[in-house]
Amino acid sequence: MMRLLELDIKNFGKFHDRNIELYDGLHLVYGENESGKSTLHAFIKAMLFGLERKRGRGSANDTFSKYEPWDNENYYAGGLQFECGGKHFSLQRNFDKYSKKASLTCMTDGEQMSVENGDLDMLLDGLSLPSYENTLYIGQLHAPASQELASELKNYAASYYVAGDSEINLAAAIDNLLAKKKAVDREIKKALLEKQKKRESIEQEASYVWRDIHHIDDKIETIKRELELREMKDEEGAQEDELENEWVKKRFTDALRPAKWRIHPFEIIGILAVIVLAFVLLPNPWNSFVTVVVALLGAIYIWNRVKIGKRSGGIGAEEILEELIPEEELVSTNKLIWEREHLTQERKEKQIEYDNLQEQLQEQDELGDEYQKMDRERDALQLAVKQLEDTSSDMQKQLTGLLNQKASEIIEVITSGKYKRLVADVNLHMSLVGEGRLVAMEQVSQGTLEQIYFALRMAVAEILYHEEYPVILDDTFAFYDDARLKETLKWLAGSGRQVILLSCQKREEEIMKRNGIHYAKTVL
Amino acid sequence: MIAGDLFHRQPLLRELKEVDYLLGSLSRTQVVLAAGNHDYIKKNSYYRTFVWSSNVHMILSSEISCIELEELDTAVYGLSYYEKEKSEPLYEKIRLRDNCRYRILLAHGGDEKHLPFRKGAVESAGFDYVALGHIHKPQELIQNRMVYAGALEPIDKNDTGRHGLVKGSLNESGCKAEFVPAASREYIHMEIEVSENMAGYALRTLIEQEIQKCGVQNLYRITLKGFKDPEVQFDLYHMDTFGNIVGIVDDTIPAFDFLRLLAANRDNLMGKYIERFGDAEPDSVEYQALCEGVRALLETKRG
Repeated sequence: MMRLLELDIKNFGKFHDRNIELYDGLHLVYGENESGKSTLHAFIKAMLFGLERKRGRGSANDTFSKYEPWDNENYYAGGLQFECGGKHFSLQRNFDKYSKKASLTCMTDGEQMSVENGDLDMLLDGLSLPSYENTLYIGQLHAPASQELASELKNYAASYYVAGDSEINLAAAIDNLLAKKKAVDREIKKALLEKQKKRESIEQEASYVWRDIHHIDDKIETIKRELELREMKDEEGAQEDELENEWVKKRFTDALRPAKWRIHPFEIIGILAVIVLAFVLLPNPWNSFVTVVVALLGAIYIWNRVKIGKRSGGIGAEEILEELIPEEELVSTNKLIWEREHLTQERKEKQIEYDNLQEQLQEQDELGDEYQKMDRERDALQLAVKQLEDTSSDMQKQLTGLLNQKASEIIEVITSGKYKRLVADVNLHMSLVGEGRLVAMEQVSQGTLEQIYFALRMAVAEILYHEEYPVILDDTFAFYDDARLKETLKWLAGSGRQVILLSCQKREEEIMKRNGIHYAKTVL
Repeated sequence: MIAGDLFHRQPLLRELKEVDYLLGSLSRTQVVLAAGNHDYIKKNSYYRTFVWSSNVHMILSSEISCIELEELDTAVYGLSYYEKEKSEPLYEKIRLRDNCRYRILLAHGGDEKHLPFRKGAVESAGFDYVALGHIHKPQELIQNRMVYAGALEPIDKNDTGRHGLVKGSLNESGCKAEFVPAASREYIHMEIEVSENMAGYALRTLIEQEIQKCGVQNLYRITLKGFKDPEVQFDLYHMDTFGNIVGIVDDTIPAFDFLRLLAANRDNLMGKYIERFGDAEPDSVEYQALCEGVRALLETKRG
């Protein structure tokens, strides 16, 4: 249990040398507008959590500037006496830029403690400024329309339901992890692509070598054919005598035809003679028909001869050879044989080169350390997302129950039993249950919304913090009717906490008086 | 003695000519070599037909055979690989059949798939020296008697340490073998201890200094160890001052004070998340996930 005992405002905003003693239970701080209630609250925050100056342009309107003393700027300081864990502590701070410091002394055993080394954080048990502002300090909901009010309340509840802390932003954390995972995925892809590129360049090299091999094969084949041809010719030369007989066997016209003529002149003369004879000798109706037929046949024969001549004059083995060794018209057979051997050697060399490249390709498939590292990081990120979601869903199950129960108790007291329960479903949609009806949060009045907000905060404070901290209520009850205000004040008085009630109205005091609720009072 | 794998793959004819020219130019040296599992004698291998210079002798047999170097009164035993793998323990079954004064075994392999042998079994065969190849890292199995020379130069980034050759002398008083460093550079796996207060530039400077200490000519594979500031992200692509870093892996652990974080967040998501990982080992994926999750939660904190 923590209690604030005494505020010693040395120079802070409009206050200087102002001493305020604070008591247990309900402590009403009454002040008219602009009497310094907000300054008082800012002072408590600054004492507990320090007052950091924002940098740059933000510094013009930050809390530091706002409460910089009105006179004597260089003296910006205060003290706070408080009790924690049964011991009495004294905290002194200087806020101004030149002599900024903080000192903490345990008055009970006289021990000098260190704020810098986290002794104060330890006393506060991890309570941070944002979570303090989100639970223990209850102002009014600052939202113009009740629809937005509802959504602000819902946001507030959501962060507690899914994370148990309003500072933790689960959705953003998961987005953060997923973004990082995406970046790692990109890296992995890049690495694989690079590998693929390397692979492709080896493949390309191999394909060039493969093409060379086939080119060499073609050349070898050509030389082989030419050599076979020559061998055949040589054999022919040796058997020239025997060949005489074969000449006879050959067609008469082929034998007679001069070498350079495609068609022998006698053949043409013969064909013409047959045409003339056919026309002259045959009887009249038949002769013209037969003449046309014979003329056509003759034409086809000549056409064919011409075509054959063209073909054999085309791409012969010789011509390829001429390409290979263009200078000499007739290459010596020895040279051809030498060429063939040389090409066969070259082919073997290329083949080995090709096989080596294939072997290199097979070895390419191993993945490097860097890749494994990235893969692992990816797994870790994936696992982090999953565990975070699981943790949150477990918490939600657990917390939703607890928070609902606690908040329901408070709501029931405040509304004198009109609403019995506050329920939040899985989508964190909140409703009130009362008089046998389920009332959606959006349908209740601003006053009731404020009461739900209050109930939730008090429930959170009770469930999530081991330490019982003081609660500060800052004009919280403007929308409460008298009956509910009475019940709320009663509940607070019975809660055992130190409650600091900042108010600009006399309502609270009247109600406390009328109902015999014990309280202390300070007028600003 | 070239104990196999003179080439990493099948040698081309022009490569053999190069190497033969070099070996042939040695005027007072006899060279004996055999094929290893990488340059094994394939069907179309040039080893089968290549004619070496007169001082270069290749053991072509796939069974243990012997080459006698008469002027040195030395017999060299060995064999060549005809396939990539060969798991019979052929080196353990050698019968000596020469009349030389000195005997050397030129052996390649020694692991399970490449002519495995027990050193005792080979030692008792009666060789004066066993010249071993296959394993890239130089190492002595028996001092002055049985030594892996290792690769002359390191051939990949995991081939760390010194490289060179073994210089041996064999005479009446026995055999002496010593390692002679010859590689122009080595691969070094370097661990850099990162500290919590170290940012990127400081790390780069530290790596620079460490590399200068160990030699700028060497090639480095760097692993970052230790704890780093969780908010610092090292840009690993800009650490290579001298252009001799072949890889850099960040194994650092973000220095989250989990105990403190847990104490401060006992009942919220972060605390439950930390608890969920219990006591994950710092080098596990779980631990990495823990760090990533906590980092994400801290980075996205409201207020």
